[in-house]
Amino acid sequence: MKVAVAAVALLVAASVAGARPLATPGVSSSSILIGGTVPLTGEAAAAAGVARGADAYFKYVNAKGGVFNRKITYKYLDDGYEPQRTFLDVRQLVQQDGVFAIFNSLGTSNNSAIRGFLNQAGVPQLFVASGASTFGRDYKKYPWTIGFIPTYSGEGKVYARYLLAKRPGAKIAVLYQDDDYGKELVSGLQAGLGAKKSLIVKKVGYDPSASDVRSEVASLKASKAKVFMIFAFGKFAVQAFITANQLGWHPQIVVNDVAAATSLMQLSPPKATEGAISIVFGKDPDAPMWKRDKGMKLFRSIMARYASGQTPNGYYAAGMASAYTLVDTLKKAGKNLTRKSVLTAATHLNEKTNPFVLPGIKVHTTPSFRFPISQVRLERWHKGHWVIFGPLLSAKP
Amino acid sequence: MAQFWQQVVSGLASGGIYASLALALVIVYRSSGVINFAQGEMATFATFLAWTFLHHGISFWPAFALTLAVAFAGGVALERVVIRPVEGRPVLTVVILTIGLLILINGATQWIWGGAVRKFPSPFSTRPIHVGSAAFSIQDIGIVGVCLVAVALLTLFFRFTKLGLGLRAAAVNPEESRLVGVRVGWMLALGWGLSAALGAVSGMMVAPVVFLDPNMMQGILLYAFAAAVLGGLESPVGAVVGGLALGVLLNLLGTYFSTFGGEMRPTGLFGRTAVRRV
Repeated sequence: MKVAVAAVALLVAASVAGARPLATPGVSSSSILIGGTVPLTGEAAAAAGVARGADAYFKYVNAKGGVFNRKITYKYLDDGYEPQRTFLDVRQLVQQDGVFAIFNSLGTSNNSAIRGFLNQAGVPQLFVASGASTFGRDYKKYPWTIGFIPTYSGEGKVYARYLLAKRPGAKIAVLYQDDDYGKELVSGLQAGLGAKKSLIVKKVGYDPSASDVRSEVASLKASKAKVFMIFAFGKFAVQAFITANQLGWHPQIVVNDVAAATSLMQLSPPKATEGAISIVFGKDPDAPMWKRDKGMKLFRSIMARYASGQTPNGYYAAGMASAYTLVDTLKKAGKNLTRKSVLTAATHLNEKTNPFVLPGIKVHTTPSFRFPISQVRLERWHKGHWVIFGPLLSAKP
Repeated sequence: MAQFWQQVVSGLASGGIYASLALALVIVYRSSGVINFAQGEMATFATFLAWTFLHHGISFWPAFALTLAVAFAGGVALERVVIRPVEGRPVLTVVILTIGLLILINGATQWIWGGAVRKFPSPFSTRPIHVGSAAFSIQDIGIVGVCLVAVALLTLFFRFTKLGLGLRAAAVNPEESRLVGVRVGWMLALGWGLSAALGAVSGMMVAPVVFLDPNMMQGILLYAFAAAVLGGLESPVGAVVGGLALGVLLNLLGTYFSTFGGEMRPTGLFGRTAVRRV
């Protein structure tokens, strides 16, 4: 019986495929089906807003008529931040649901796990939600993949240039998460310091499955460094701030963007975080400076309408920023939407109007430069909020 | 040398965290012969309950007591409803069941409270104290102190009360205990209730330090297993000694053998021991 059902299903599938051999999967005259994965559960569940924010933005666009009268459906599945689940999810999205493209999937290992499969199948892997530079750099091997946010190595270089200019000669201690994510930040910092690499007097990695980083911070303190780099994830960054303060160590702290969410920073006592430095490229809904900003007003109204009851934090804004760029890309790809045309559009971006990223930042790509956002500014934590300072900086990897 | 003492002191502080959860593991093992893999998740769930109570304006210690009561009742209920049906089955069956509980309770926590990291108030001051070159806080002493008080109470309970004797008897020899009138089924449930309450204490002590999120206890559980095994799975005193020793050992190894990094992590070594014992 089961065999018979399967055979019938196969026949149906074959005849459907046979009837419209030229149709683009996931695209009809009235709809576009986009797929993605995100941790709705598990250690990184706090970042789920990246998908939910994007989804809310698509609903807003749909209410205004969609793109060329096509409504966007964004089907995002929970992968619990586990790469093997990402792979199963994406296979289902591509083979069963027939999505047009994979968009905004979150996590470095998670995107690495699906990259080979998607490129083999010729499915666009658009605007990867990870700062690992491999997603923008290795386009020769993976032509269907493109990144989005500034790379971790580019971020490390920005910090290096800042320190060389403002704190020349200061000894540096580094706490980093002992995986690809933390290591790329460290190598970016080292590359940026160049000949002054020896200013890093001590670096200590922590295991992401550890319970706390107090021991690591204590041994970094012993280096007597004047600058403390926190290249961490989530609560480990908070613990690092608090421990340094508790130990009576008050260096200039630099914390990487992923660990610098306002909601995380506010968990520490103000004394521990005051004066810390990070980078920024998107507008932070929690920062008072954007209160009257048009883009953030739009953000809040979309949140209220299409994601009511959820806390409108930076993750949602980041999701909307990439959703905006995707809609832009789909428009650029034209009425006759194919996977090829969307890839061409995604690699010829020159977008100056994204309302969710900082004014002045150009979302810019070429076929051989696939790092859509490669400009940032610096920000300093002051009295419970991030305050932006200094000019636009290049954060090329 | 300054660094050595600082590492010992923060090792003791982390060790107190491992010890508090190890205690809960030991109590369940001692009263029912089961290794409870869901112990950490039960503790996290209870801590979220406490957070909810606090959030609704109840002050710390009443919320603490309320959480203990709810956790105790929840532990008893879990034993009666989930563990009871597999009582007397091979130990592996029970272990798998507790792993299932781990996933279930973790999912429930995420579903109810979401994945965000939260602040949890500490009953103790976090003001740093400097002794010589080492710094620690009253909070660190508080965690270790609460563990020690719990051990003292448990020892008294197991040694000098009839109920404690009944609990021990039910675990060691259920048949004969039943013959002399011990209600074995309820003893097991009581053991689960006790350990759930202890886990809740652990969660509420730990949360101010490592911050509250649905996976708060997952890393700690590994160390707690190691601590419990190191101290002897049946001994509450052993759990505390094991936890503190493990905390210090991990710190010193990490500091002075940093070149070995990952390879030297004793979690792996002890973890394997724990798996073999079950």
